[in-house]
Amino acid sequence: MDPLHLVFGASLIAGAFFFVAGTVGLIRLPDRFSRLHALTKADNVGLGFIVLGLMPLAPDIFYALKLVLVWLLVVIAGATGAHLIAKRALRGDGEDVL
Amino acid sequence: MHLQTVFAHPRAVLIRTAGFALVWLVLVGPDPASWIVGGPFVIAATLASLRLSEPRKRNLSLPSLARFIPYFLRESLRGGLDVAARVLLPRLRVQPGNQDYRINLTSSEARLVFIDSISLLPGTLSADLRGDHVTVHALDVRTEVVGDLMTLERHVAAIFGESPAPRPDQTTAHRSPARPLEQPARPEDHS
Repeated sequence: MDPLHLVFGASLIAGAFFFVAGTVGLIRLPDRFSRLHALTKADNVGLGFIVLGLMPLAPDIFYALKLVLVWLLVVIAGATGAHLIAKRALRGDGEDVL
Repeated sequence: MHLQTVFAHPRAVLIRTAGFALVWLVLVGPDPASWIVGGPFVIAATLASLRLSEPRKRNLSLPSLARFIPYFLRESLRGGLDVAARVLLPRLRVQPGNQDYRINLTSSEARLVFIDSISLLPGTLSADLRGDHVTVHALDVRTEVVGDLMTLERHVAAIFGESPAPRPDQTTAHRSPARPLEQPARPEDHS
């Protein structure tokens, strides 16, 4: 087996590991701020590794750039969303139904 | 109003149009027929961006941006490993709480990048911004996060050509529990 493929396969597994860690954090952590930590960090790193592992499968440069663009947009959206959720929760001016 | 903006900033219009065209190219691929749809949307996106973000002089430093990217990736990885280690170990090692941090960056773009990047540093999450005060939620209030925040702020300031003067009161960050009404986090035993 091509050693390069082993490296990218390991990257995919590392990505999956961080997604699992993020999910475990979502279940185990005690409050919603801490759960946001688990989601923003573990998922961004997880998606980063998955994108890295998918790179050699990209048929052309546009496909590879698209994967990077997807990761970048998820990172920005994740961090911004986490900040907005935390801000509303902290100020207590949200429209929580519960 | 739109046309005035377009003619007043030809360089910004050109750069933004090229940028959005590049995004379309990345999304759809090099298919000439796709520009029937893409062309109007690139123009619409450029007009919308001119309206939402007025072009003005920015001193973006590309070398600083190049230095920021490896720092950002390294800190992201460190943050991911940190949170994974905290939640996967049988003893949940968290003591959530808030810390106040006085922000020195002035421009709104620099602040946006700073606020979003805080959430990628190990153990910190930007929870609120009122005036110059960022409320940073920490997974573990016992850890020292101010040093990391100052390093990040220096990086962001370098990208946007700002020079934050370090203030002595930053080291005396105010700490408080996140949810005073709740019980502090107990280590759980999953056997």
